[in-house]
Amino acid sequence: MNLFTSSRGRTSPKSTRWMAPTQVFLVLLVVLASAGQVQAESSGETGGDRQTVQALLQRIDQLEARLARLEAAQPNGSPVTPSPTVQNPPSAPAHDQSGPQAETESEQQMGAGTEPERMDVSKTLLRVRGFADINFHGDTQKGDKTAFTLGQLNLFVTSDISDKFKFLGEIVFEAGPDNIYGKTRGENNSFGVDVERMLLQYSRNDYFNLSVGRYHTAIGYYNTAYHHSTWFQTATGRPFLFQFEDRGGILPIHTVGVSASGQVPSGRLGLHYVAEVGNGRASRSPIDQEPVQNVVDEQNRKAFNLALFARPEAIRGLQAGFSIYRNVLAPQNSPRVGETILAAHAVYISSNFEWLNEAIVVRHALEGTSQVFETPGFYTQISRRFGAYRPYFRYQYVNSSDHEPIFPDVGRRQGPSAGIRFDASESVALKLQYDYTSIRNQQAISALAMQVGFTF
Amino acid sequence: MHRCLRRLMIFGLAIGWLLGVCNDTARAGGPMPEEQLQGDLAIIVNTANPVESLSLTELRKVFLGERSHWPSGRRITLVMMEPGQPERRALLRDVCQMNESDFSRHFLHGVFTGEVFVSPKTLASPVGVRKFIFNVPGAIGYVRASEVDSSVKAIRVDGHLPADREYSLHLQPRAVQ
Repeated sequence: MNLFTSSRGRTSPKSTRWMAPTQVFLVLLVVLASAGQVQAESSGETGGDRQTVQALLQRIDQLEARLARLEAAQPNGSPVTPSPTVQNPPSAPAHDQSGPQAETESEQQMGAGTEPERMDVSKTLLRVRGFADINFHGDTQKGDKTAFTLGQLNLFVTSDISDKFKFLGEIVFEAGPDNIYGKTRGENNSFGVDVERMLLQYSRNDYFNLSVGRYHTAIGYYNTAYHHSTWFQTATGRPFLFQFEDRGGILPIHTVGVSASGQVPSGRLGLHYVAEVGNGRASRSPIDQEPVQNVVDEQNRKAFNLALFARPEAIRGLQAGFSIYRNVLAPQNSPRVGETILAAHAVYISSNFEWLNEAIVVRHALEGTSQVFETPGFYTQISRRFGAYRPYFRYQYVNSSDHEPIFPDVGRRQGPSAGIRFDASESVALKLQYDYTSIRNQQAISALAMQVGFTF
Repeated sequence: MHRCLRRLMIFGLAIGWLLGVCNDTARAGGPMPEEQLQGDLAIIVNTANPVESLSLTELRKVFLGERSHWPSGRRITLVMMEPGQPERRALLRDVCQMNESDFSRHFLHGVFTGEVFVSPKTLASPVGVRKFIFNVPGAIGYVRASEVDSSVKAIRVDGHLPADREYSLHLQPRAVQ
């Protein structure tokens, strides 16, 4: 636009008439053709190059000054090998010259060399990625109405604090009431904000990483693979076993505490571990209160979780492992309950094929009695991509006693889900899913859901 | 009047065509001359990095963010060239064994789960890649073998350097013999 404006400003109306088809066209031809090349060759480089060259020149100055100091400090005036520069580099590969001398010279540069790792200091350290979904849902459950539903608006925030430290957060805006063990709280259409993850991560090496804050408990696979993004998930939602605590879920999905993770030296087996200690899930407070103990723990005893899984090199995409979670719950007007959650999973994910299998047993033992309640559950999910389409199938099952001391509302529920996901673009997925859920002592529910999930 | 309209139409069509060509060129990197697609892809690190050789499996782990530290304890900083560049296409094909879309999703997912600590730096030109690696001791990247100079160090892949016949990373996929 500026080009046209300035041209018009400089030329007479008469000349404009004859310029239009010839000169303007030629000028535009040259500008557009060269713009593409310039963009391809140097996009993001012009400013960056200038800065880098400036940094290199400064470094050369520093090195020359240092060289002068070293030369001055040499009592016998012996020569010091000059540092290499990139101004006229030889074309031969540098590995031939990477002897001790080269390493020493490079070590000298390290002090300044670490600085460019923070090349982005002029920008904010905070990076935000968004995930969201919007749904249209209807089912046969009495009292339910077909409705458009806003899903979660998830702002995923990361920041590289330093070489070893990183911040990671997930802030989720979500409408609708909470459902905690079948008890609802909140209004139907009002929004709430949850800090779903807030972690300071320290990475020592590949074998030891430490995170402190609020995280997703490493029980099974699904919980730590997809977090609060439906766009990452093939299906419209989580399996019932891994529903969030405030959506009727039975597991301690979130924990506030400390988590250590890393690889286990195991060669081609690719073993990894996760060890977590945290507040566990609330049990003493009224059941419809916040289930994640973000600030205050009901007891001094902490929950712990240990997970071990393998990613063998021989079968890329395969992950298999197990975890054990242990906590003691102290419900009001009831004996303490020892909670043990055993989980095992085997998943295989490639770019075209996905097969997820998980089984869990939640064991609640009432202290001082011989009563033990075991709630088994599993799901299997399989999908195959055909271009932009990915049909999928899931079957899930959970069976809880009606006398279960912590979640008596769950009962036995099972059923298949079938759907298709269409990736309209790299960042937008449309899904259509049918669910059939049979529930003990209740009428089975059929549901149909459409979802658009996206990242931005 | 008609002539004016005709000129306007031709002009508009030409602009539209040009924009389309430029857009396609920018998006797809444009058709590369054959000679530009010849040669080997060198994996380069900072000259201070004591690592001299990596297996292809190790290299894949590095470029997929599954390995985040050098044996010395220094953090690995990945340097990638922009999408569409033949060097990047060769790396994704031969090392990561993924397409562009899967690679982006892999890193997004890795960062989302917290397993990948830092996402790759993306630079536009081999000169930029060399400069970055020269500046950052823990950096690893790739350029075509003819672009390697003394400011960086080319490492062996599966025991071979780019000039070797057995070297496995090439800009163009080699026909199976």
